[in-house]
Amino acid sequence: MLARMIEEAPAFFGYYNLIFLFQALLGTFLLSAVGCIVGGLAGFGLAVVRRTEGLGLLPPRLAALLFVEAFRRIPFLVTLMLTFFVFQMAGIGIPIFWIAVVSVCLIASAFIAEIVRGGLDSVHQNQWDAAAAMNMGYLMTLRLVIVPQAWKVILPPAFSFFILFIKDTALASQIGVMELTYAGKVLNNKGFSAGLVFGSILLLYFVLSYPLTRLGARMEARLAPSRDRTA
Amino acid sequence: MSYTLQFGQVWPYLPYLAGGALVSLWLAFLAFMGGMVIGLLGAMGKTFGPPWLRSLIQGYVVFLTNTPQLVQIYFLYFALPDTGILLSSYQAVLVGMTLNAGAYLTEIQRAGFLSVRREELEAAETLGMSRLQSVRYVILPHIMRILFPPLSNQYILMTLGSSMAAIFGVEELTGRAFNVNAQTFRSIEVFSVTAGLYILLTLIASTLLALVGRQLFRARMRIV
Repeated sequence: MLARMIEEAPAFFGYYNLIFLFQALLGTFLLSAVGCIVGGLAGFGLAVVRRTEGLGLLPPRLAALLFVEAFRRIPFLVTLMLTFFVFQMAGIGIPIFWIAVVSVCLIASAFIAEIVRGGLDSVHQNQWDAAAAMNMGYLMTLRLVIVPQAWKVILPPAFSFFILFIKDTALASQIGVMELTYAGKVLNNKGFSAGLVFGSILLLYFVLSYPLTRLGARMEARLAPSRDRTA
Repeated sequence: MSYTLQFGQVWPYLPYLAGGALVSLWLAFLAFMGGMVIGLLGAMGKTFGPPWLRSLIQGYVVFLTNTPQLVQIYFLYFALPDTGILLSSYQAVLVGMTLNAGAYLTEIQRAGFLSVRREELEAAETLGMSRLQSVRYVILPHIMRILFPPLSNQYILMTLGSSMAAIFGVEELTGRAFNVNAQTFRSIEVFSVTAGLYILLTLIASTLLALVGRQLFRARMRIV
């Protein structure tokens, strides 16, 4: 296997293949980045809606609950297929990349919502009560009291979820989105040996994900002490 | 939007799909158990082993947790035959999931090891407990209480992750959904029923696990 890989290497790492791989890497990165940003914002919104009280807001609260509990329990592949066919049947002709982005955002917002909810819950109930006693509204309490304390609890797991998430986008190759895994399949079909192709793809994912993992670990180490003090 | 949902064609396949759900659970269970063994050995090696073993295990964990499971299975399935190791699709998926789970479970179990304090062991010794007794009455209850929630969480994630076996032609829940889809062309209906089955499956599994965790290990777990 090794001899064949060395023999093929010059052709494999040719100019056009490198450009192709770079574009694929960019595809994976964009898919993850858009998912992170939209998922982060929507997830935060969902968690905030779930924390509301009172009968008036019951319908949106229930909707948020159902959304989060459902999408955390459906495999990404199934969500992807469902989004794909819904767009197709509805006759909305958007590029496949954006279909993948939509399903990525659905999953990300559900998982982030749960992480944010955990963070909001980590702030002691007394703080909510004190804010209420000072006649602060719900949003004001969040902005001035809860979020300044909760973000240290939210950020590390959210970050590690995003890293987990980069690897999940590999499944988008199944509907034909141009990203790393798809590029691997294309190059393998072109006749390059699977060991060389998928070995390189694994390495490229590693290059994308490992620095972020290190960053996350450092961030967690820095935030951990202050987290103990506020708890 | 002129599409009418017709679930009528999908219902007859429900038992077939539900059977696939059992395959999914079983696949995740096998991979989880294999991963637990790897993880236990890895965690022990990483905590007590010599430096070269530690960096070897660290390399395994870092590489496997920073690359997608799908591509790892692709590698096993398509690249290993070049070296003469021929895995069936089920075997490739199982090996890939096990190796991947082993990496995550190494980290989880190591955290459990580190949570046992030296004082506890000394206290057990002072009380005249034998080695086996201190493992049985001090270390295990403590470790399980801490480890059970992340372990059951990992099992649920693996049940969802087993859906990628469908890509390699294993007929578990998602694989059977692909089959039904090909026979009926009722794509949205088939995949929404599948999604519902996954929700039901993981709800039952996580509720049972939470009950077990609370009863046996006094772990702090939310039921649903």
